[in-house]
Amino acid sequence: MSARYLVRKLLGACLTILAIVILNFFLFRMMPGSPERVLMRSPVITAEAKAAARARWGLDKPLIPDQLVAYVESTFTGDLGYSFKFRGKPVTDVLLGRLWPTVILIGLAEFFAIIFGLLLGAYAGWRRGSKLDKAGNGFGLVLYSMPYFVIGMPLIIIFAAGLGWFPTSGASTAGATFESGLAQLLDFGRHLALPLITVTLGLIGGYSILMRSSIIETRAEDYITTARAKGLTDGRVMRHHAFPNALLPMVTLIAINLGYVVGGAITAEVVFNWPGIGTLTVDALSARDYPLLQGVFLLLSVCVVLANLVADLIYGFLDPRVHA
Amino acid sequence: MSAATTDPAGVNGPAGPAPVVIHRQRFRGLRESLGRFSTRTDGLVGLGILLVFAVLAIAPALFVGPLETVVTATGGVLEPPSMAHVFGTDEMGRDMLNLTVHGARISMIIGLLATVITVAVGALVGIVAGYSGGRLDNALMRVTDFFLVLPTFVLAIILAPILLDIIGPEAELFGIRATLLVIVLVIGLTSWATTARVIRSQVLSIKERMFVDRARVIGSGSGRIMRVHILPNVVNLIIAQAVLTFAFAVFVETTLAFIGLGDPFAPSWGQVLNAAQSAGAPGLGAWWYIVPPAACVVLVVLAFTLLGNALDDILNPKSGSRR
Repeated sequence: MSARYLVRKLLGACLTILAIVILNFFLFRMMPGSPERVLMRSPVITAEAKAAARARWGLDKPLIPDQLVAYVESTFTGDLGYSFKFRGKPVTDVLLGRLWPTVILIGLAEFFAIIFGLLLGAYAGWRRGSKLDKAGNGFGLVLYSMPYFVIGMPLIIIFAAGLGWFPTSGASTAGATFESGLAQLLDFGRHLALPLITVTLGLIGGYSILMRSSIIETRAEDYITTARAKGLTDGRVMRHHAFPNALLPMVTLIAINLGYVVGGAITAEVVFNWPGIGTLTVDALSARDYPLLQGVFLLLSVCVVLANLVADLIYGFLDPRVHA
Repeated sequence: MSAATTDPAGVNGPAGPAPVVIHRQRFRGLRESLGRFSTRTDGLVGLGILLVFAVLAIAPALFVGPLETVVTATGGVLEPPSMAHVFGTDEMGRDMLNLTVHGARISMIIGLLATVITVAVGALVGIVAGYSGGRLDNALMRVTDFFLVLPTFVLAIILAPILLDIIGPEAELFGIRATLLVIVLVIGLTSWATTARVIRSQVLSIKERMFVDRARVIGSGSGRIMRVHILPNVVNLIIAQAVLTFAFAVFVETTLAFIGLGDPFAPSWGQVLNAAQSAGAPGLGAWWYIVPPAACVVLVVLAFTLLGNALDDILNPKSGSRR
């Protein structure tokens, strides 16, 4: 991986993030209603007071470049404005408070989905056309066609409402006191189980389909024929020759996908009322809390850009042909 | 290659001996594609499922009568399936079979309109960028890449309420209410980038072909060349892309409606599932409220994906997913 490649990718990511911040600025300005209009409604406000308020908010300066520059500056210093819904709490604080549940849920789901998805796809593709392939590929396609909440709702009906094995919502039992940290952790685990299964199943579909086509392509390569000609067993050819090479394109695909998962899994959190970024987004949406929505958009877009950057870097590192 | 797109039924020419030969040649590509398609079980299954849902969407009232409202509800509260209500009822006593069948119409119309916008914008950008080349191509592809990176779904969540505030919730166009219109617009505006990329790469190779040079030599303008010579040659690709986009559009519409951006007066499947979630149906174990609309969503998205993949393999010369 050349230094030029690295610099170009880094620069590209920075420019994209800047473009996202600028888009965010204009989205904000597109919205009807402004502090000024609220002030106009009050008959007791004098012209001087209005002018003073405008000066204090910086509304007397032109939209471009002054207001735009001020917005970009404050965004990069971590000031994302104040939430309407949470009574003027800074958006950054609100977001940080909801980050951990989502990170735990998505992180674990990715972990399990990568393992099971890749194995399922690899075995289906290796035995292409077999019963196992047809069942596995069909299973993957059906899961791939299901929005997260469509997976989650039946799980609640069966395992929470029906069998009563797991709670239906939240991340902890309301009002419960725990004797030990372990008991508290167990409670958390019981709440985590169904959302985790939901997101994992949702991810497995895409991963197994991609891995299947990757291994089918690899299977046609000459070095696989060579490995067979050497008299290696089928399982050995698969494990030591086909699987690692088919994994290569998957690494970048998974890295790119990581950035989109949080946005996609919003509905999984909603179904289980999981207290993460997803439920926060929907709450902000129903309260029309625009500053918070913009904060969520910025956070999730930056995740995607960073994930893409990581994917590019891994690709440049793994594939020596990339020099451009 | 171009599957008889300019004169599909041969309506323009009274069939003398010479035109017949031309038509035969023209239809050969189409016949070959159809022949290859008829061997694709997955594509045929997808097509079959879609035909059933298309019939339901075109005439829902024929099968289950007019859409039931709170006033015209025919059953009790959250009744399990029975002889009177085969799919049970919702929390307002509406028949679930009625809601599900009418949901087909709303989900499919939104999906169709969103697909038209997505593919139209994507094809326009792709053709113009690919044919023009140079700076315009560069600029358009920058914008396309930017939209490819943006998390579509999250952008849609933010754009929808803003657009709704701007055009007002009471507005209507062709009898479609603002809420649904906003969903259509949002899906269209945020998901054209993939189509643009796919079409552009095809246009790049088509514009090097001899007939484009010939057209230029006899004095055709860029606009005419793009319309008359380039467009018919990417129609195949546009069709395959449209079918795949349709699957995505139904998926996104369902999700947006589920998180509360739908129209309660025009319940799509996502909107019905949103109502089920608000009514606490999962926790109450009211499976009949969830399974019918959820199964429909999965079937339709799956069918479009199967059909789209099959068409893509047959019609897209650059398709990587050869099976």
